[in-house]
Amino acid sequence: MGVPIIGISDSIQRIKELVAHVAHTGLNTVISGESGVGKEVVAQSLYQKSPRLGKPFVKINCAALPEGLLESELFGYERGAFTGAEQKRRGKFQLAHGGVLLLDEIGDMPMALQAKLLHVLQSGEFSPLGSEKDFKTDTWVIAATNHDLKLDISEGKFREDLYYRLNIIKVYISPLRERPEDIVPLIEYYVEDYASQLGGNNIQNPDPEVIERLRTYHWPGNVRELQNVLKRMLVLGDHERIVDELFETHTAQSDNDGVPSERSGPANAASLVDFKAYDPMNNGAFSLKKVKKKAVDQVEKEVISYVLQKTDWNRSKASKILKVSYKTLLNKISELEITPPNA
Amino acid sequence: MGSSPKVLIIDDTEEVLTALCKYFKQKKYNVLSASNGLDGLKMIELEKDSLDIIITDLVLPNISGVAVISIVKKKYPDLPVIAITGWGEHPESLAKEAKADLVMEKPFKLPALEKATRELLRDKE
Repeated sequence: MGVPIIGISDSIQRIKELVAHVAHTGLNTVISGESGVGKEVVAQSLYQKSPRLGKPFVKINCAALPEGLLESELFGYERGAFTGAEQKRRGKFQLAHGGVLLLDEIGDMPMALQAKLLHVLQSGEFSPLGSEKDFKTDTWVIAATNHDLKLDISEGKFREDLYYRLNIIKVYISPLRERPEDIVPLIEYYVEDYASQLGGNNIQNPDPEVIERLRTYHWPGNVRELQNVLKRMLVLGDHERIVDELFETHTAQSDNDGVPSERSGPANAASLVDFKAYDPMNNGAFSLKKVKKKAVDQVEKEVISYVLQKTDWNRSKASKILKVSYKTLLNKISELEITPPNA
Repeated sequence: MGSSPKVLIIDDTEEVLTALCKYFKQKKYNVLSASNGLDGLKMIELEKDSLDIIITDLVLPNISGVAVISIVKKKYPDLPVIAITGWGEHPESLAKEAKADLVMEKPFKLPALEKATRELLRDKE
């Protein structure tokens, strides 16, 4: 079973009711909402409650692949369809036959491919690249997006006919800050879930004061951000400090006019990029890659330092806990400039 | 069916819904209404034995009119459905695919809709 839809707010109750009413229909569905609100959880829930349960649930991220690759991933190809196609390969539509195909980030699908998708949805048939044969498809297409597709249509980035074809059922998940009453049930669920995953007896549950502070935070990264914070709490233990950091980041962000409060993505962005001194809009040296590296370094450093501290700098023991080789750990220690407490 | 046929009207534009309800009440219909597909569908499930006809907008929050038609026609194929639409070609063709008995494009005259409703009810009998 997947993760259930968690929440007591009216909007979540309404989504549960909607899922219960439409899961049997297999009608094209669009799930929308900001990043991290749980669009895939809703898609999974639709699948779990549908007669298609037990059939494949196939997911593809339309933003992650270049156009040509996305097309061959969706529809498959015949041997020799293009240079390098040495063997025929089944596409996601074929793999999802009888089940569900989740088209994540549909708003990022290139226009040319949107036309092909529309054709498949209209005709119920598709043909793999280089194939002369049409295949029938019985696939429940569920699309997810954090875009305002109506806006994309007006900007010429999304086909209106595809929009209506897909939007037979609409599920909108509101951002977590608009339903603070869901925060406590989410915390309770994930603390229990992660505690059982981590398996330790030393897990310290957040106390009521910490929970209260988490409840008042505005969660720009939504449930995913909450999950990350809870994971950090359970692994690192220092709840107060983690919550302090969360609010410091929040203050840094609200101080900055250049950063929109909505859809601003991961909460830690401001701790990684000083938007004032280092404005990505006007700085040639800025790149997403660098930010990513910095974010990963920051988290790795924190986790490695913690494990080293707990193992009294027994590097061999630490490498086993971190599940990296001894050599990798030594490299990381020097690269991230992690120093023993008494050095 | 008695002298007061029971009609369910689904539209998310308040003024349109109010106007339609008022007109059909004047014409001695027993009128039920909903402002989105989910509430409409719940009402259909509740009233399936006494409901005579459904009039639905196509573009609606949560469950679209297209979905309502498609679900109704699968579960209760004899229940007539009229689709009303203020949008372009696309939802209209979808409504036909979903087997709406009639698609009427806005703007239309209320008497024309009522006449169409009456005719569908007569055909049903």
